[in-house]
Amino acid sequence: MDCRETRSLLNAFHDGELPAADRARVEEHLRGCPKCGALLADLARADRAAGVPDPGPAYWDRFNARVMDRVEREADGPGVKVLRPKGGWMREQLRYLLPAAAAALVLVIVYYGGIRPGVPTPAVPPAAGERAAPDSAGERTAKAEPGPLAAKKSGGATAARRLPSPVLTEERSAAVPRVERDRLPARPSPAGNEEAPRERAPAAPAAAPSPPPMMSSKRSPDRQEWPGAGTGKVAAGSVAPPAGSPPVAAPEGTPPGMHAERMKMAGAADRVAEQQAAGKAKSASSPCDLARTLAEREQMRDAEAAQRACLAGDRNAPSREKGLVFLAELLDRQGRFSEADAVIAEIEKKYTQSRSLDLYLQQRPMVQKQPKAVPVTR
Amino acid sequence: MRADLEEAKDERLAALAAGGDRGAFEALVTRHRQAVYRLCWSATGNADDADDAAQETFVRVYRSLPSYDPGRPFGPWLRKIAWNCGLTVRRDGNAGVPRVAEGDAPEAVDPAPGPEEAAAGNEERRRMEDALAALPAELRMVMVLRAVEGLSYAEIALTAGIPAGTVMSRLSRARTRLLAALGGSS
Repeated sequence: MDCRETRSLLNAFHDGELPAADRARVEEHLRGCPKCGALLADLARADRAAGVPDPGPAYWDRFNARVMDRVEREADGPGVKVLRPKGGWMREQLRYLLPAAAAALVLVIVYYGGIRPGVPTPAVPPAAGERAAPDSAGERTAKAEPGPLAAKKSGGATAARRLPSPVLTEERSAAVPRVERDRLPARPSPAGNEEAPRERAPAAPAAAPSPPPMMSSKRSPDRQEWPGAGTGKVAAGSVAPPAGSPPVAAPEGTPPGMHAERMKMAGAADRVAEQQAAGKAKSASSPCDLARTLAEREQMRDAEAAQRACLAGDRNAPSREKGLVFLAELLDRQGRFSEADAVIAEIEKKYTQSRSLDLYLQQRPMVQKQPKAVPVTR
Repeated sequence: MRADLEEAKDERLAALAAGGDRGAFEALVTRHRQAVYRLCWSATGNADDADDAAQETFVRVYRSLPSYDPGRPFGPWLRKIAWNCGLTVRRDGNAGVPRVAEGDAPEAVDPAPGPEEAAAGNEERRRMEDALAALPAELRMVMVLRAVEGLSYAEIALTAGIPAGTVMSRLSRARTRLLAALGGSS
C-alpha cells in the first residue's frame, strides 16, 4: 500500500471503520512511513479540538425545570399538541364559546348559501368556496364572519367575530408575542420533524402527510400527531371545518391547492421545453443559461427543470460539479432541503474537496433562511 | 430521582413517560440533556441557540412519546429530533454566529480552572472552539457526533439522513479545516 491509498483510508482507520484486512495493510504502511503517521496524529488532534463548550453546573441545575415548565405550559399530556392562547382566562372562554361560534358560522353560511335563493349572491361564500381547502380555516372564518346579516341575525355570530374561534386559535397562538426563550420553529424541519405536518395540514384527512421516517410505524390511529387528528380538542377544529358545517371546502376531487401545485409541476417541464425551443430558435442559449435566467426571475421550479436538463447533457467535470451545486441551491430555495442534501452528498462523493460546494455550504444557512433571493452560486 | 428510574433503560422510561409518568420523563431529560445540548450546539454554533434547540427537543420528545415504539432504540430517535430542532433553530436565527450569552443562555465555563498556566490552556481551548464554530454546520455536526459522542459512521448516517460514505468525506473535510484553523500540518 502506498501513501496515497493509505491517506484515502486514514480517516476510516482512525475512526475504527475499516475492515480488518484493510486495517492490517494500513498498519503495515504506517510502521514504515513517518509522514503518514504524522497525518494520523493530526486526525486525533483535530478530534480534540471538537470539544463543545460546557455551559456549566448552574445551567444544568435549571435545565430540567425549564423543560418541565414548558411541557406543563404547552401540552396537556404526551402527544396532545394543542395550540392555544397561554392565558387561563382565554382558555376558559374558548371552552364554552367555541361551540357557539361554530354554530353561528353554520347559520351564516346556510343563510347565504341556500335558504334565500332570490337574494343576490353575496361576494363572500363563492370566494370562500373557491379558496377554502388550501387556505387556513381561519381565513375561511374571517371571510364568513363580517357578513352584514350575520351581525343582525345572530348574537352568536357577533360572538364569533369578537371571540377567538377554533379555527383562529392556531394563528392567534402564532401571533402572540412569545415569552423570551419559548421560541418554536416557524418552519418545518426535514424528515423526522413531527412539526412538519402541522403546517401542511390538509383540508381532507385523506391528504394527511405520511409519518416522518424516524417515527414509529406502529402509530396508533387515536394518537394525536398534529392539531385536528382525533381528539376533538380545541385545535382539532383548526384544520377541519367545525362538525356539521356546510361544505365550504373545495369542490369534489383534488383539493384546489394540491391540484394547482400538481398542474404547476406538470407545466414546468413543458414550459422549460418551450423556452428551450424558443431559445434555440433565437440564439444558442443552452438549458444551463436558461436555468440561470429563470432562477434570477425566481422561477425556481422551472429553473430546476432546466438545470436538470443542463446536467443531463453536461459531461464536463468542472462545470458539472458547479451545476450540481447550483441544483442543490435551487432545491434549497424551494424548501426541499432533504433533496438538496442528497445532491450535496452526490457532489461530495464525486468531487472530493469541492471548492464550489464549500463556498455554497457557507452560504447555505442564509439561502435556506431567505429562499426568495437571487441565487448565489452563479 | 427515584431509584427504579435510575436503573431503567431508556425505552422503559419512554414507555412510562408516555403513560404520564413525569418522573420517568425527567429521568430521560437528565440522562440525555448534555448529549442533546452538544448536538444542538453543533447545529447552531452558539450557546444561545443551542439552549433554545435543546429545550425545544425535549418538548417535542414529550409531545411525540405516544408515537415512539419502545421496541426500537430510544437514542437514535432522540438524536433525530435533536438534529432537526438544531437545524430548525439554525434556519430561524443567525446560523453559526457565536453570540454573547445572556439571560438563561448558558455561559461556557472552564471545567478545571487552575492557576496562571490555565490561561494558556483557556486560550487554546477558545481557539479550538472558534475553529469548530467556524465550520459549516453540516461538517460540525458530523464532527461532534463522531469525535465527542463517539458514534459510528452508520449511527451518524442514520441521524443525519446521509450515506455513510458522505459521513466519512464530511469528517475528512472537517478535520482538514480544523487543522488548518489551528495551524495543522496536514
